[in-house]
Amino acid sequence: MIILFWFFAVLAVSSALLTVTRKNPVASAIWLIATFFCLAAIYTLLGAFFIGIIQILVYAGAIMILFIFVIMLLNLGNDYEPDIRGHVWKVVAGGTSLVIAALLARAFSGELPAPLGHVAGPASLAAQTADRGTVGVIAIPLYTDYMVPLQFTAVLLLAAVVGAVVLAKRKV
Amino acid sequence: MDFLKHLYEGPGILTFLIAFPLLGALAAWLVGDRSARATALVVGIVELLVSVPLFFTFDPTGTCPQSVIGRQNEGLPFAFSQLTVPFQNCTDAPWFADWGIHFRIGLDGISLFMVLLTTLLLPLMVLGSWTYIRDRQRTFYAMLLALTAGVVGVFVALDMFVFYVFWELVLIPMYFLIGVWGGKERVYAAVKFFLYTAAGSLLMLVAILYVYFRVHSVTGMSSFSYFDFMNPLAAFSAREEALLFLAFALAFAVKVPIFPFHTWLPHAHVQAPTAGSVILAGVLLKMGTYGFIRFAVPFFPDAAHAPGAVKWAMVLGVIGIIYAAMVAAVQPNAKKLVAYTSVAHLGFVILGIFAYNLIGLQGALMVMIGHGLSTPMLFFLLGMLYERRHSYEIEDFGGLAASIPVFATMLVFAAMASIGLPGTSGFVSEFLVLLGTFKTHPYVALLASTGVIFAAYYMLPMVQKVAFNALRSPANRDIPDLDRRELAILLPLVVLILWIGIYPKPFLDRMEPAALRLLATQSTRLAPPMQPMGDVAAAAPNP
Amino acid sequence: MSFFAALGRPEVLDLARQTHYFWALLPEIVLTLGAMLVLIVDVIHKGDRSEPSRGSIPVLTLAVLAATALANTALFGLRDVSANGMVAVDGFRTFTNFVYLVAAALCIAISMGYLERRGIMKGEFHALVLFATLGMMLMGGSRDLIMTFIGLEVMSVPIYVLVGFDRMDPRSSEASLKYFLLGAFSSGFFLYGIALVFGAVGSTNLTYIAETLGTGTDHGHERLLMAGMALTLVGLGFKVAAIPFHMWTPDAYDGAPTPVTALMSTGVKAAAFAAFVRIFAVAFADAGAQWVPVVWWLAAVTMVGANLVALTQGSVKRMLAYSSIAHAGYLLVALLSGGDTGKAAFLFYILAYTVMTAGAFGIVIANSRDGEERVTLEDYAGLGLEKPWLGAAFSIFLLSLAGFPLTAGFLGKLYILRAAVEGGQAQLAVILVLASLVSYFYYLRVIVVMYMRPARSEGWHAGAGLPLAARTAVLAACVVVVAMFFAGAVPMRWAEQSALSLWRQPAPVAASPAPASLFR
Repeated sequence: MIILFWFFAVLAVSSALLTVTRKNPVASAIWLIATFFCLAAIYTLLGAFFIGIIQILVYAGAIMILFIFVIMLLNLGNDYEPDIRGHVWKVVAGGTSLVIAALLARAFSGELPAPLGHVAGPASLAAQTADRGTVGVIAIPLYTDYMVPLQFTAVLLLAAVVGAVVLAKRKV
Repeated sequence: MDFLKHLYEGPGILTFLIAFPLLGALAAWLVGDRSARATALVVGIVELLVSVPLFFTFDPTGTCPQSVIGRQNEGLPFAFSQLTVPFQNCTDAPWFADWGIHFRIGLDGISLFMVLLTTLLLPLMVLGSWTYIRDRQRTFYAMLLALTAGVVGVFVALDMFVFYVFWELVLIPMYFLIGVWGGKERVYAAVKFFLYTAAGSLLMLVAILYVYFRVHSVTGMSSFSYFDFMNPLAAFSAREEALLFLAFALAFAVKVPIFPFHTWLPHAHVQAPTAGSVILAGVLLKMGTYGFIRFAVPFFPDAAHAPGAVKWAMVLGVIGIIYAAMVAAVQPNAKKLVAYTSVAHLGFVILGIFAYNLIGLQGALMVMIGHGLSTPMLFFLLGMLYERRHSYEIEDFGGLAASIPVFATMLVFAAMASIGLPGTSGFVSEFLVLLGTFKTHPYVALLASTGVIFAAYYMLPMVQKVAFNALRSPANRDIPDLDRRELAILLPLVVLILWIGIYPKPFLDRMEPAALRLLATQSTRLAPPMQPMGDVAAAAPNP
Repeated sequence: MSFFAALGRPEVLDLARQTHYFWALLPEIVLTLGAMLVLIVDVIHKGDRSEPSRGSIPVLTLAVLAATALANTALFGLRDVSANGMVAVDGFRTFTNFVYLVAAALCIAISMGYLERRGIMKGEFHALVLFATLGMMLMGGSRDLIMTFIGLEVMSVPIYVLVGFDRMDPRSSEASLKYFLLGAFSSGFFLYGIALVFGAVGSTNLTYIAETLGTGTDHGHERLLMAGMALTLVGLGFKVAAIPFHMWTPDAYDGAPTPVTALMSTGVKAAAFAAFVRIFAVAFADAGAQWVPVVWWLAAVTMVGANLVALTQGSVKRMLAYSSIAHAGYLLVALLSGGDTGKAAFLFYILAYTVMTAGAFGIVIANSRDGEERVTLEDYAGLGLEKPWLGAAFSIFLLSLAGFPLTAGFLGKLYILRAAVEGGQAQLAVILVLASLVSYFYYLRVIVVMYMRPARSEGWHAGAGLPLAARTAVLAACVVVVAMFFAGAVPMRWAEQSALSLWRQPAPVAASPAPASLFR
């Protein structure tokens, strides 16, 4: 299990790095798909089968296809100019990333005991999964405890649709 | 008559003196350019007429009740919830009661004369601007009236929050007066004036808040009251007190202005229109010295009495007197010359304040009054000259005594008053200051007395060049002499200057108790001065 | 509020029961329905024709906002006894909701006429403003990090669109793209921060986080929590535009249509700050040792930096953008001051700030013309002399922003100073005063130009002005700014009560107030 986790973790991070370093947007998109797959694998390792599947279906499947469509339609990828110009900014950017990396490393390097939450922890997760199934673990809180955020996510989507139409439609 | 007597013993009169010009400002703005000046004149005259009886009804020993920190919260009966303070015509209305901010105003022998000076100058300024200001009259007169309201507020405020608000309220109209109706370099002068003063007053705000929190922490009660700020419980360490005193002193020193903070003054004076110069020299500068007398020194007596502080104040005062005199002597611009004389005169005030004796303090107050009469008169005269010849340059004039004799007479009189010729207000006041200073710092007094000689040295040549000498320029020949309006401006000033110069007793009598009390407060560091708080607390029945 | 009680509102809410969310979220529900109504009415008006929307749309929008405000009054005196509701039911939320509604109403009011002139009079604008307002209310009133995030997005997405609403204007589109990219970026930070905090504490519920941090001194997740707090701080820092996370602000503010700029610098900022208070000053209060020094520096750098940069701006709109960054610094001081006074000062200041900033942008709009923004300092020369009312109103707003007496801004700053000194942040108070001194200079410069320089040409200001409704709104803002000084005791007391109620969640009993420690 541990070996598998590290395998996918390293793969996920390295493909994420490749995503942002490729000059060709299509290549970037492909690497992003690889990242999503690795994440899905990690979810599965954690026992969250449902999320793993959703990850592949929604992100790797639907969203990435959209990405690639857009990239192809816009016919990008020939003219390339680095976003970060000048040595100073490169140093600043590099330094910032190092600091963030160091902070994260510090955060994760210690021993990780079980979360303090009243119903959290692997044991409780296992118990709940046995009780409700992997879908139920997500769905039941989603439609009970998190009902309100769910509803407002719908409003968010409505607002986003209106906004997209306003910006994209030729005549409104 | 009873009604009037009642009115002048009651609290409403000061509020009226503040609110009426503000309403007048609104009215002047609304009636439009044509009748703005007439409206302002009516407002000014009414304000003056209302304020004059204060001089006669003023009771030097008068007191009035004021709520003092915590009393109103302890559930004490009304009679015990208040202390008497040596002020009269007090108002004490809660404003932000939770914070201890009350609209507290009151009058004593020191503020009385400052208020009267302000209300006297108001109608004169309106008359002085009658033909001088032609553009945007309604805004001009609105600003002038608002400014007056702010100045009166500064002199009667007994709550540090209220004081600060009025203090800043004065800034805006003055800023516009200089910046909109001023001379060529008006923008520079206005911005310099504003930033210098604003910088000083922000530091003072921090100091006020600091004291407020200290009082709050020792008594548990919030109050911005002037009297609570002198609470003996709120003892400061020497360092704290020095810094706080410095913060207050800086704000006031900029306003006075004490050398080396005086650099904004010549610009502001030269660029400002006549009315602006008049109110600036007449009362705005006195806000600084008044601040020293009323707030900075009594709040922080230890710091203010420290030998270092006194030494510096004396040295800067003397430098101000002598340096300003020397600079004034070489000014080609008559208005700038008069501006520098202000620095010199206010140097005397500083000496008088920091002599810390009754004669010195009374002298300082008398200089403040005398300077508030003679310098505005000079500015009025220069403004009249400017209206005729559009110049302030001394070179452009000469021999005016021949062409406009009345003007020349007035100019000579004003110059004499400014120098301090015996029989004018300047002599009495500067003599008192020198006497008071001599008691404590004889050498300083010696040096300062040369300032009187210097005054003759710069003022007389100016008068000579302008009024006498040969009548060279033909432009100076065909100018009209002073008309009745202009005489109406000058004559009240002449009368007052002579009155104070010949018989200053009514003035000295009215300010003496207040001055004595301020000195006593400092030396004993007791607050409030008349009745220690403990007595009342002991007398109160404990519910 | 017997009116709502008669409608069946329970006296005490228990958000463990789903139905009670109807009452807890009444204003949000009204606002959502109203936004949809605006969309539908606009479509009914227009059918399939492409034409400017009718003038009744902004009126309808204002009516929706008024109805929401009315619904908001239903929250007065209400409290929630449940342990883990999604939304807070407290005076703090009621107060801030009013602030957002005022900001939105002023935005709509000053947009009247402006949208027509720029040819972007579309009902979607108004609907999106309403959606953004909804997002603010959700974000500022949430009691759960998930809810905060959803609110953040509901607020941000419409704003991204609104910034780029004028598609014909390349600057508007550029600003929109910049804001969108950085905004999405900061949302990512925020979300990651939430995940880490969840990992450390085991819950996204703010009350629960506060309790956990309050009881367990050593829960073994210090570093995870720290990383989570740091990332959350970055995310919020972007939204409140604190230096060094302010890079997007000047461009986005400058490029956006001016009413949107007004909304961004008032409502959006207020909502982000309200969330800031809830997350940091409430939930993370007991981890103060970790974040207070960081936020201290944020506040100091923001106040000093923004004021210094604002000095160099030649455009009034950009100057106002930097001024809004500077004000974020002042608000951070209030936040750091802790205690009830700090929260009350924050509430009072955000209200004053909203009114005066929106008013100032109203004047910027009044000075613009067809297809011409007229925002440089030179464009304002002589405005005060030729248009006395506009000049006077702008002067009052600017003086209030500078914190001059006789205006709400002064009282607000005094309140913050008081809170800072009481909360042991005297150094910040001194920095605040010095920064204000610097700010005098650039606010004053506009007044100088308006009154002391001649206009560019004869009749330059002839077309300056606002339609009646917008004029009324600006005038009302002006009156409020001055009235808040003289009658400031009323909003002050309201702010104090609102701040007090923030701490009794979930209200246990009428216990004595918490001891005056630094953050509780």
